[in-house]
Amino acid sequence: MKVLELAGVGKRFGALTALSNVTLDVEEGAIFGIIGPNGAGKSTLFNLLTAIYRWDEGSISIGGLSIAGLSTQRIARLGVSRTFQNLRLFGNASALANVMVGEHVLLEANVLDSLLNTGRERRERTEAEKRARELLRFVGVSGVEEQFARNLSYGTQRRLEIARALAARPRLLLLDEPAAGLNSSEKHELVSLIRAIRDGGTTVLLIEHDMGLVMNLCERIAVLDYGEKIAEGEPREIREHPRVIEAYLGAPA
Amino acid sequence: MHEFLAQLANGVELGAIYALIALGYTLVYGILELINFAHGDVYTFGSFVALGIFVGLRAAGVLHGAGLILGIAAALIAAIIASALLNAGIERLAYRRLRKAPRLAPLITAIGVSFMLENLIELWQGSAPVPFPNVIPNPQLHIGALEVGVQQIVVVALAIVTMVTLHFFVQRSKLGKAMRAVAQDRDAASLVGINVDRTIAITFLIAGALAGVAGFVGGVSFGSAWFLNGFGAGLRAFTAAVLGGIGNIAGAMLGGFLIGMLESFSTWLIGGQWSNVAVFSVLILVLVFRPSGLLGETLPEKV
Amino acid sequence: MIYTYAFVAIAACVAIERFHNRRAKATIVLILAAFLAIAPRFYGNDAVFSVLADAAVYVMLALGLNIVVGFAGLLDLGYAAFFAIGAYTYGMLASPQFGLHLPFWVLLFLAAALAALFGALLGAPTLRLHGDYLAIVTLGFGEIVPQIFQNLTKYTGGPNGIAALDVPTFFGHSFGASVMPYYYIALVGIAAALWISRNLRESRLGRAWMAIREDELAAKHAGIDVLRSKLAAFAIGASFSGIGGVLFAAKLALVSPDLFGFQVSVLIVSMLVLGGMGNIVGVVVGSLLLTIVNSALLPQINSLVDATFHTTVDLSNLHFLIYGAILVGIMLFRPEGLLPNRERRAELHHAGEAAGDA
Ligand SMILES: Nc1ncnc2c1ncn2[C@@H]1O[C@H](COP(=O)(O)OP(=O)(O)O)[C@@H](O)[C@H]1O
Ligand SMILES: [Mg+2]
Repeated sequence: MKVLELAGVGKRFGALTALSNVTLDVEEGAIFGIIGPNGAGKSTLFNLLTAIYRWDEGSISIGGLSIAGLSTQRIARLGVSRTFQNLRLFGNASALANVMVGEHVLLEANVLDSLLNTGRERRERTEAEKRARELLRFVGVSGVEEQFARNLSYGTQRRLEIARALAARPRLLLLDEPAAGLNSSEKHELVSLIRAIRDGGTTVLLIEHDMGLVMNLCERIAVLDYGEKIAEGEPREIREHPRVIEAYLGAPA
Repeated sequence: MHEFLAQLANGVELGAIYALIALGYTLVYGILELINFAHGDVYTFGSFVALGIFVGLRAAGVLHGAGLILGIAAALIAAIIASALLNAGIERLAYRRLRKAPRLAPLITAIGVSFMLENLIELWQGSAPVPFPNVIPNPQLHIGALEVGVQQIVVVALAIVTMVTLHFFVQRSKLGKAMRAVAQDRDAASLVGINVDRTIAITFLIAGALAGVAGFVGGVSFGSAWFLNGFGAGLRAFTAAVLGGIGNIAGAMLGGFLIGMLESFSTWLIGGQWSNVAVFSVLILVLVFRPSGLLGETLPEKV
Repeated sequence: MIYTYAFVAIAACVAIERFHNRRAKATIVLILAAFLAIAPRFYGNDAVFSVLADAAVYVMLALGLNIVVGFAGLLDLGYAAFFAIGAYTYGMLASPQFGLHLPFWVLLFLAAALAALFGALLGAPTLRLHGDYLAIVTLGFGEIVPQIFQNLTKYTGGPNGIAALDVPTFFGHSFGASVMPYYYIALVGIAAALWISRNLRESRLGRAWMAIREDELAAKHAGIDVLRSKLAAFAIGASFSGIGGVLFAAKLALVSPDLFGFQVSVLIVSMLVLGGMGNIVGVVVGSLLLTIVNSALLPQINSLVDATFHTTVDLSNLHFLIYGAILVGIMLFRPEGLLPNRERRAELHHAGEAAGDA
């Protein structure tokens, strides 16, 4: 079963071609890596998947359903969550509140419930808060529940953002350079965290620069260069692929 | 037809004043992304300074012949200097500290500065409009069916000369290039050795100077100054800047003239009490449907 | 006398912010409520309660605007428009203007509904705008609405407005000339506004607003319906103002377009900024302080100065300077407002166990 299918996708910004003719399938339950030099179009791909931008050519479906014309919010409701290359936390809110926002799509309280603090609102809040605390523990940042997100250390913020994304119980999780700026022990923990996420049933699409980490973690990898997919395969194949070596590994990372 | 031409001339005159004020909004917005809400009050201040000079010189009895020409020049220059310094002072004291603050903080501060200025000008000059001394002769010219005062022509000419000068200054001069660099990317500008603080300060000086010209011109052409003038004129001019495309100098001029026309013709056709509604409707429509204005361009937000 | 009441109320608010303990907070709220309800029997006069009733209306307005600005982060510079809509609802439907004399109590709710409707209608065009542009569009609406009331002379009495509005009745008893009913109604109104504000802040919708305020794009990625959430903020915020407008008009027995200009919107923004945007208790303190300064302190200093120096100084001319100085001073030196947010962390800490603290 394919969670994500891209066929011939192209995206231009004015004269600049950020992506061209990208075709890609991601199997349910995979940890799928996307690598490529800076400016290759990796983040742009994520931005197409979450409808930040509209693509110019091709088609994209999630879970067999075309996402053409769907809004960011609708796509989130289809079970796609993401983190951002440059963190986008709710800085002036507690870590707990950040994660609880992530649970938004799971809750049913409407405006009236919220106004009147009805039983449903209270019940959902209690449950949501409990789940949020568990999630923070799961990503390994318990103890900071009540602190403002902007006051947390960088590594903690990265995990908090993952917790927020997981809070929606996504089917597909998009991680944009989650290891950027982490030290090696933090990277180790990140690897086990991502495995645990996948084992929980979430497909992971991972953009990452750290080749060791990607090779170690991903079952399949696609390589982008100047907006084109120049290779796709298992880590071993990628490592030996001549175009990849030329475009990416050739230059010492 | 006669009335139409008169309204047209009137609109052009109003438009010249709004365009001058609009340039100040556009320059500052271009460089700081701040709506300098107090800009309209800097304009009011310029009017009162010009008025003060006229009153003083008239009392001294020197306003005739060559003395009149010098007097007009003195009033204009005083208005320019006073407004420029006031505007730069506001930037230094109120806005500079907030460059890295959350986005709404500078706007709220600017509204606060505007209220303070309005109140201070009221304390200084009273709450009733103050008439401008009627010292500048205004012979009427007849050009076909069009009847205009020499004053109107001078006012418009002065505004256009100012705007053209500004345009070349920003496009050609070293300072103008620095301004554009800072407007595009403050950090990059600072990396290539541009003094960002100084450039911003100079932008406020220039914007204030333009408000000073407008204050002088507006005072002469409306025949009075009032402590709350800047609120209405400022919002009209801001509307003009947005209509033309904020951050865009040619846009501010275009917008100024269009809003001047709109005010003049809406007053004529549907009554002065609706002209506010007309202008604000334009403001809302532009911001909602084409926030980049007539001459601006939009870029998608980078994520 | 007025200062006694104001002082007690503000002291209680500060204490509520300081204590973390839920029970202590609840106790203070109860004591304050009892004091405000009972003390007027023994202490004070009509003049004092007139000012306090006005203050209470402003507290309601500020709490309403706080939902839009403080919670959802939408700087609304035309909030007075909804105040005007509330006031004119009463002015037009409970006066000789059309010979309609609908009951005050019905109009209270009708005005809330109408204001909410207009809140959503005028909010709708701004939904895709950000920051400054949104602020300026709301300012535009804030200028247009009173102007329309002024121009539609046939229906609204034009620049003079509508006078001789009905005196409300309560189960057949006329309010008469007393201000006490307004005082008590406004107190109940504040209590309701506080309760709703607190509910909202802790709710699913409140978290959605927080997300939109902090990072709209990330909020969308969390599946939040940004447009609907914003509309809800505009509508709910405006409804408070609609109720405030009815109270205001009924008490004054008059509406006129010049009562709802930009300066009123800025006054309410100043109250929020002074107390701390988003901070419910802070907003109450900010609005109390500013109303007391406006309607009690300035006039008193005025007469004191005049009596001492045998002059006629008009300090009521200083309102703009004061609002302006508050906006500038707070933004530059204490952007979190007078009541510091230091306690907020602790307050959040107790959010789980305490659903009942304000
Ligand atoms: N909103 C945008 N407007 C213009 N160009 C953009 C925009 N977003 C990305 N780009 C350009 O598209 C190319 C790919 O960017 P990106 O997807 O961020 O690369 P990366 O692979 O490093 O994540 C870059 O050249 C970038 O400058
Ligand atoms: Mg990237």
